[in-house]
Amino acid sequence: MDKKLENSFVELLEKHQNIVHKVCRLYTNNQDAHNDLFQEITIQLWKAYPKFRGDAKFSTWMYRVGLNTAITLYRKSKRRINTQEFDSVQFKIKAEAYDDTEEQQLKVLYKAVHQLNDIEKALVFLYLEDKNYSEISETLGISEVNARVKMNRIKTKLKTILNP
Amino acid sequence: MDELDILKKDWQKTDANQKTLSSKEIYPMLLKKSSSIVKTLFYISIGELVFWILINSIPYFSSEAYKAKLEAMYGDGLITVILTLFSYGVILLFVYLLFKSHKEISVTDNAKKLMESILKTRKVIKWYVIYNLVMAFVYLTVGTYLAVTHNPELSHQITEFSNKQMFVASAIITVFFAVFIFVIWLFYRLIYGILLRRLNKNYKELKKLEI
Repeated sequence: MDKKLENSFVELLEKHQNIVHKVCRLYTNNQDAHNDLFQEITIQLWKAYPKFRGDAKFSTWMYRVGLNTAITLYRKSKRRINTQEFDSVQFKIKAEAYDDTEEQQLKVLYKAVHQLNDIEKALVFLYLEDKNYSEISETLGISEVNARVKMNRIKTKLKTILNP
Repeated sequence: MDELDILKKDWQKTDANQKTLSSKEIYPMLLKKSSSIVKTLFYISIGELVFWILINSIPYFSSEAYKAKLEAMYGDGLITVILTLFSYGVILLFVYLLFKSHKEISVTDNAKKLMESILKTRKVIKWYVIYNLVMAFVYLTVGTYLAVTHNPELSHQITEFSNKQMFVASAIITVFFAVFIFVIWLFYRLIYGILLRRLNKNYKELKKLEI
């Protein structure tokens, strides 16, 4: 591929790499896996870059490719965190350690989010990134109403974790 | 403020703490090979095509004497020619369908569409495998029947069989072949099951949202 294209891609990725790091942070649980997923997302972005049309925002486009890679394409499952279904019993022990300090609360929250399934994580990720429901529904391919309903369920889930 | 908003506040603060890569570190990353599920699926589909083409071609690569024996057993060449043309036609059709479905997989589609495109490709491979297994079953049973009836030594032995013995023998052979084919099918299911477990799970999760 031509050098100019490569340079412009690397420049854009360098500038917006935070998005990819954040996806990796949510979908992996150690530095090796983080780097691995970052690498795969980079390859997928690079492969798709020639078709990237400037009319879409690069960052918006990155969200889509990044999440698609994490949810669907990424294959090294041995290293990733086990994404079990939510089990309130499982969280009770952890929640006992929870106290009112914000730091503790955040720690428990991050732990809880890590244990959500892949799709729930994607919704949470886009929400945390301040995306509106229309963008969330477009990225995941579900209706806006369903995105809202699911988001509310996730919020209730998190509440239960924090206040068992 | 609900829990997620507390998290959001912190999440957006973390930008500054994130380890950043320089462009020097990014360039080599572009040269690395992808290990995505699509790539694995692509290699598997190529493997399937080559494997079954080889299996179907074995008689053509075997010795002249064996070929002559096969021709003698399976009758005139016309049926063989038709069957060969048909099987190559099917292979070409599958190559086309695989190529088309692989082309349709795009990482820039929405998550659901991407999953559907991958599952569609997997379906093409599945039908190719089913076709080959069915054909293998037909060839094995018909081939055995022809071998038995056209081979002078065997057919002589068989004339001594009673009707009941004949029926039992055919039933045993058919069931044996059916079980054999079924075991291969289970093996395939297992491979794809493992490979696409996460994808299927996530796809189901997305579909569940629509109910």
